[in-house]
Amino acid sequence: MRALSAWLGGAAILVALALTLDGYAADLFRKLLLVATLCVGFNFLFGIAGQLAISHIAFYGIGAYGVVVLAFQFGWPLPLAIIGSIMICGVIALLVAIPSTRLEGFFLALATLAFAQLFSVVILQGGDVTGGPQGLSGYAAPDYFGLPSDGGGYTLVIVAVFLMTLAILVRLDHSWFGRACRAIRDNPATAAAMGVDVFRTKVAAFTLTSTLAGVTGMAYAFTDNYLSPLVFGLEPMFMLLFMTVIGGTGRHAGAVIGAALLFLAPEVLEEWVGRHYMLGFGVLVVAAILFQPAGLMGLWDGARRRWGMR
Amino acid sequence: MDGALLTARSLGKRFGGLIAVDDLSFDLHEGEILGLIGPNGAGKSTTFNLLAGALAADGGAVELDGANLLGLKPHQIAAKGVMRTFQHNSPFSGMTLTDNLLVGAHTRFQSSWMSVLFGGSAARDRERELRDHAHELLEFVGLAEWQETEVDNLSFGQGRLLEVARALAGEPRLIMLDEPAAGLTLSEAERLSEIIRGISARGIAVLLIEHDMRFLLPLAHRVVVLNFGAKIAEGQPDQITRDPAVMQAYLGDAGMSRRAERR
Repeated sequence: MRALSAWLGGAAILVALALTLDGYAADLFRKLLLVATLCVGFNFLFGIAGQLAISHIAFYGIGAYGVVVLAFQFGWPLPLAIIGSIMICGVIALLVAIPSTRLEGFFLALATLAFAQLFSVVILQGGDVTGGPQGLSGYAAPDYFGLPSDGGGYTLVIVAVFLMTLAILVRLDHSWFGRACRAIRDNPATAAAMGVDVFRTKVAAFTLTSTLAGVTGMAYAFTDNYLSPLVFGLEPMFMLLFMTVIGGTGRHAGAVIGAALLFLAPEVLEEWVGRHYMLGFGVLVVAAILFQPAGLMGLWDGARRRWGMR
Repeated sequence: MDGALLTARSLGKRFGGLIAVDDLSFDLHEGEILGLIGPNGAGKSTTFNLLAGALAADGGAVELDGANLLGLKPHQIAAKGVMRTFQHNSPFSGMTLTDNLLVGAHTRFQSSWMSVLFGGSAARDRERELRDHAHELLEFVGLAEWQETEVDNLSFGQGRLLEVARALAGEPRLIMLDEPAAGLTLSEAERLSEIIRGISARGIAVLLIEHDMRFLLPLAHRVVVLNFGAKIAEGQPDQITRDPAVMQAYLGDAGMSRRAERR
């Protein structure tokens, strides 16, 4: 009951913000929700399932480019393009997962990095279909159900994608699936002896979170109505990793808090230090790994214990 | 012998030129405690790994209640009701004791993703049922007090007991314990003996690797002795201790001749 009211309360706040914010603040809110959604998915994959997959942003891009190319280059109706793009993400994720989840740690990171680079090459060299380095623009989602496809109405779509992703992953985390993922992260051989199908579970975790990243990409595609290859490069990928580590690896709330902190910090810091805020992030990440591997959520747990709260 | 739960026939495993397990056959019955002993390097752990599917056998046959086990993957063997512990404690850290046991109960869930996400009460009822069962098992091994504690806070001895409880959570028909008493204090080992007797009383077969004879001999119903991968003796504990081949394996030729000289 408490969990349900927390969910409803959180949703109400997000909906209220979506409907009241406008201009730059609304844009910032939409982008923040998108980053937080990505981070929650990446945290499940990296923090809970233990897979350091550098392909998360590439799947975000596949979802975004997929829906725009299908709907506006190939002229599919939007609902069909959305379904098509989800299927493309799912199938590619499965094809990447089957060989690469046999790898561990560093080697998985390398293989998924290679895939991310391949994706970058494809969209840069995609000619008229992907728009090459200029990207794609000049398209817009049609109005559906009487909702305008921009402004507060569209922010609600992003709020829905964020809440859906969070709800799916929190629910799975608290089931046999989440426990199996954590067990594999900790000790694959022991997990297998307990009856966990290690290979299938890893492939499922990768495919699911990558497809959710694709769905987030679709939501992004109609946020600015402009796609650029730069948005789907390696820098945002490493930002996701930093957000997860600073927030608290393996913690859903940590992913949201880390995403909010690192996404909003440049807005504040840029006035003082210009583009050098990345340097600050680097120091913060090193400090987190050295002194607080459990991240901000670890600090929060420690504080709760100290003040005797449960 | 008929009515055996597990039959192993002519199991073999080589590592290069080394014969780790050599033409090993034995039976195991419901509720029976079978000790697997032998000097270091005799092939006990290799035998475990062959039975659990962690290593592929070169030859032989293993059947559980007539169904083949050999060639199956570890998770498939666990699903058939053969659970194991490891020589070294391997808890899933960062998880509570109960959640560790629920990983042990993984094969007992049988609910799909879809029912977890959208299904109503069925998946949740099963979760609650297995959680209750996990609490009963923690009670059974004497760790109930710490059921919602993270495993990282357990002592070594408590960790040994958790391994046993986690394997039991899979509702096995056969449980394989790899040196469960290693590193335990005397009173902890006594408690473990009681627990193992309790497991056997539930009709679960127990295959037990153990070095400590004072622990094993009063506990085991039957003992199989390995040396250099081959079975050199099999029988009741008191027969085994009088067996010359066993004495020679444990004390060596030098030991035997020194004993002879003293006479």
